[in-house]
Amino acid sequence: MNPFLTYSFFVLLLLASCGTYRYPNASGIREMAPEEVNSYYIDTARSFVYRAKLQAFRKDVNGSLLIKPLGREGCRVALISDFGQTLFDISIQPNGHELHYAMHDLNKRALVSEIASVFRIMTAQQHPTSALMFDDRAHYYPVYVADDCYYLMKGRKVERITQVKRAKEYVLIYYRDWNTAGVPTEVAVEHRKFPLAIDLVLDEEQSTL
Amino acid sequence: MKNKLLYFLFLLLPCCGWAQTREMKANEIASFQKSLQQLVEIKTLSADFVQYKHLSFMKKPVESSGKLYLQHPDKLSWAYTAPFQYKMVFRDGKIFIDDQGKKQTIDIGNSQQFEKISQLVTSSMRGGQYDEKEFAVAYFKDGGADMLRLTPKLAGAKRYIKEIVLLFSPEDKQIAEVKLVEPSNDYTRFVLKNRKINTTLDESVFNL
Repeated sequence: MNPFLTYSFFVLLLLASCGTYRYPNASGIREMAPEEVNSYYIDTARSFVYRAKLQAFRKDVNGSLLIKPLGREGCRVALISDFGQTLFDISIQPNGHELHYAMHDLNKRALVSEIASVFRIMTAQQHPTSALMFDDRAHYYPVYVADDCYYLMKGRKVERITQVKRAKEYVLIYYRDWNTAGVPTEVAVEHRKFPLAIDLVLDEEQSTL
Repeated sequence: MKNKLLYFLFLLLPCCGWAQTREMKANEIASFQKSLQQLVEIKTLSADFVQYKHLSFMKKPVESSGKLYLQHPDKLSWAYTAPFQYKMVFRDGKIFIDDQGKKQTIDIGNSQQFEKISQLVTSSMRGGQYDEKEFAVAYFKDGGADMLRLTPKLAGAKRYIKEIVLLFSPEDKQIAEVKLVEPSNDYTRFVLKNRKINTTLDESVFNL
């Protein structure tokens, strides 16, 4: 009896973890020519300063998020508190990150990796070759798929990125508003596994746009 | 000719640097320490501040400004007015925060980091209030201004601060600038303007 229970448990676990994520109202997936999406943070002549409000593990932190594109495949991202302390300073590449500095209390490997991952999703340009299909004609905007992320488009701009892990939504990035040059002026980050939410408002005066 | 002039100017550059910052001589240190004594007499301080956060990879610093009030021994109001409104009051072992109407209170005892910062800021503004057990002290002349470099000795403070540089105004010998250098060498510079010493502060500045 015991081996049977153990076997059933692992089969159930396997089924649960192998379940596929179904994007709301999507009916299938189609191939398409590569499309360049999420190109907000690729111009190395620019630097972005966002006013940042973080809620992390029931703590509120206010400060600034600085993004400096290093090219088409990477960004340097730093989070500083209002008092001017650097909380994180990380270079993010498609397949890794380099930690330049993390404040002592926050210098934990898993935490730094998670932070790098969130900002990689937010800043990385992608070239999806597939898109979702919708039977519902009311659905107007296309949704492109690249790696484990879904890119909901509004015209040529990404409006929302949904990262999926183990068939569940993991990180959501919402681009809520843009300036006339198409630079995101309001961005919200929502982590579905950890109690982490970040609201960003672009400080156009301090940014180099 | 143009090249020769450029070489000449280039050779002069290090001399300009030495002329700007140099170690104080013994008699200058004695005179400076005397002037520091008057800072110990500071009971209240109000000033406008401009904060410049310098990061190695950013061409220009991130700038913010506001108003600060300090009342010896343990009250500090630190309010940002641009580019955002945000006020922190350190008092009674607590930090009271007003973030555009959203108020919260943090127990300083639960936040060693904040405690360290508020101590550093308060003691920096009062200049003479450093502890030689906690800091190695070095004295410099920066142009006409006196400069104090405090390097933390204790491991706890070293984690957050590499050094604190205090610059004193040549005119009134009061603190004009505070620079907090992080272990990564990025730093935050606070420039104080419109300083008023030992005036009566309205108690409301320490309330939220």
